[in-house]
Amino acid sequence: MNFEDPDMDTRRLTRRIRQNQSRRNQGESQMAVSIRDLHKRYGDTEVLKGIDMEVKPGEVISIIGPSGAGKSTLLRCINALEMPTSGTISVYGIDISDPKTNIDKLREHVGMVFQHFNLFPNMSVADNIMLAPHMLHKTPKEDARQQALDLLETVGLQEKADARPTDLSGGQQQRVAIARALAMHPDIMLFDEATSALDPEMVGDVLEVIRSLAEGGMTMILVTHEMAFAREVSSRVIFTDAGIIEEEGTPEQIFGHPQSPRLQSFLSKVL
Amino acid sequence: MIAKHVRQGWTSGPGRWAIGLLALVLGLSALIVAPLATPAQAAEDSPAAQAVHGRTFRVATDTTFAPFEFRDSSGKLVGIDMDLIRKIADIEGFSVQIQSLGFNAALQALNSQQADVVIAGMTITDQRKQVYDFTDPYFDSGVQMAIAKDNDQIHSYKDLQGTVVAVKTGSEGEAFAKQRAAQYGFTVKAVDQSSTMYEMVKSGNAQAVIDDYPVLAYGIAQGNGLKTVTKKEPGASYGAAVRKGENKEFVAAFNEGLAKMKADGSYKKLVDSYVGHSSKGAPASRPGFFELVRQAFPSLMLGLRNTLAITAISFVIALAIGIILGLWRISPNRILSWIARIYVAVFRGTPVLVWAFFFYLGVPQLIGHRISIWLAGALTLSLNSGAYLVEIVRGAIDSVDVGQMEGARSLGLTRRMALRRVILPQAVRFATPSIINQLVIMLKDSSLLLAIGFGELLYQAQQIYAANFRVTETLFMVGVIYFVAISALTWMANMLDRRLHR
Repeated sequence: MNFEDPDMDTRRLTRRIRQNQSRRNQGESQMAVSIRDLHKRYGDTEVLKGIDMEVKPGEVISIIGPSGAGKSTLLRCINALEMPTSGTISVYGIDISDPKTNIDKLREHVGMVFQHFNLFPNMSVADNIMLAPHMLHKTPKEDARQQALDLLETVGLQEKADARPTDLSGGQQQRVAIARALAMHPDIMLFDEATSALDPEMVGDVLEVIRSLAEGGMTMILVTHEMAFAREVSSRVIFTDAGIIEEEGTPEQIFGHPQSPRLQSFLSKVL
Repeated sequence: MIAKHVRQGWTSGPGRWAIGLLALVLGLSALIVAPLATPAQAAEDSPAAQAVHGRTFRVATDTTFAPFEFRDSSGKLVGIDMDLIRKIADIEGFSVQIQSLGFNAALQALNSQQADVVIAGMTITDQRKQVYDFTDPYFDSGVQMAIAKDNDQIHSYKDLQGTVVAVKTGSEGEAFAKQRAAQYGFTVKAVDQSSTMYEMVKSGNAQAVIDDYPVLAYGIAQGNGLKTVTKKEPGASYGAAVRKGENKEFVAAFNEGLAKMKADGSYKKLVDSYVGHSSKGAPASRPGFFELVRQAFPSLMLGLRNTLAITAISFVIALAIGIILGLWRISPNRILSWIARIYVAVFRGTPVLVWAFFFYLGVPQLIGHRISIWLAGALTLSLNSGAYLVEIVRGAIDSVDVGQMEGARSLGLTRRMALRRVILPQAVRFATPSIINQLVIMLKDSSLLLAIGFGELLYQAQQIYAANFRVTETLFMVGVIYFVAISALTWMANMLDRRLHR
């Protein structure tokens, strides 16, 4: 495969992902995300000590675990915000650490929502959402704006299109951030503690948007501390501790019948 | 060395033309008027006068070397050299076209046939005789000591025990003082300008000054607050120079005219009018402060214009350097990043003055091609400020939350797109106050360019008090002008900032 030509790259990647989706529909199982023996080291500290995991298209995965377990690092490796020290990660069959892979093109298909929203304060809410489609997909301004307004409507913020991000509450900012990620029509959405920085009364609105995405069949990986929510929306839950996957299973298995003492201890503290 | 360069000056093109034109008009009117006024003289025309009759010589001179050449309060070029050559031209029936260039530039003009004669308080030396032919000496210089007017302790060199004596760097006075320092037990302190020496004596930082006698005598005549108590020491003589073997007729006519003036007493009258006790340079009463402001205003405004112009040009270049190398500095490309680091280290780690001298005096010798003073000045200021702006730009980009870059990259934007659309617009807000600050520093630093003779505000002030010795008042005016200019600039910049970043 050659991804050096940027135009070819995006077309091939898109075609490939579409093919995978259609294969899924035909019962073939190509993984959305496939991680093999992932290690991540910062200096002397090994944060990830050999992670293996697979995410099928359409799955909603929640990653739970104590602070410092490497949950966020794992998530950030998937769209190459962090590069693995060793091991392989492939997204719809494309290896992210292959130097031939155009990471920018790959990221167009992997939406990410951050704990601190990371909206651009130098532009309006609508411009935040329009920026990437306009610059990368050459979507005309009017079309991009219409799409932004539609997305804002789905997250309940249509009237805030021309506001500055800093004039919005935390919950509103996070819903804009989700709309901004969705504007690129991603095939996977990553949520990195999307509700951790919010006041409690704001959390519900954001979870509501994520829930509706899950119901719409979006492939999602969530790093979260909202155990009740994880139990409700996830198709699978992964418990990480000290850089390894300690236990994984259905929400029923993880929350109803935890096996490992560490998971039992963790759940006793947070539930 | 430095004193010579400071005296070199920068004269605007139109100014130079105006002087040339003025000289031409004077010369022509002399031609027309002279035969009418003294019809007897035409009949007595000597062979020397006949050889130059009706010819025009291009005379190059210094900008300010009072009392030999300087501008009076009306801006006219006067002084012993100027009056003398005009008078001799009058007597001998030739005309002169005077170009006020600066000492070294005048010699260059002579060498390159842009001028026929140099008259600029030029000492006749054996070394110079190998390159030029000189007229008969028209002035016997030599050094003399002066002390504060109210000082009644010092009557001779013997009384200098334990004192500080101010001299001009590289001058005859310096050599004279150094030879006698040990014998009389005084310390020699060399500075760049006559006016600085006088202020040192008046302020008590030095007790005496030893300088060229005519310069000293002129200063005293101008009321610089000093007096002489010892006789002048015999020393060098001044002559006018031509290229070796050329313009012999000029030399002959000059010598003849000079001899006539000495014979009829008009030479003594001319010299005394500048350095004598009843000199015409000495105003009957010192002009008041507002009269001084009125006289200084035109050249100070020219200086302000040059200061603002060089600052504006340099700021645009510095800003370009700052943005481009600032981005190199944070670039993942190691080579670009190191180029920016080295550039910043070099220009932050060296004084502005070193670069001013390097670009104006050093580089032309390396590349064998003259560098204009505007180019040298702009390079000096912009490369120095550029280094600070690189760090300001880098600091501003660093101060944008790292999540902004991650947010942009997570959408698939390239690093370049993210920088342009997301990071830089935010960084500009952080950087603006520091950039305005740097602009103000740059405007003030531009005054350092006076060392290479760039005609900015402080340079103009020095030219003014080199002639009138009103140092304190002139510096006060300059201070006020800088303050007003910088306040106005800061106010405008802040307005712009507020309008852009509401």
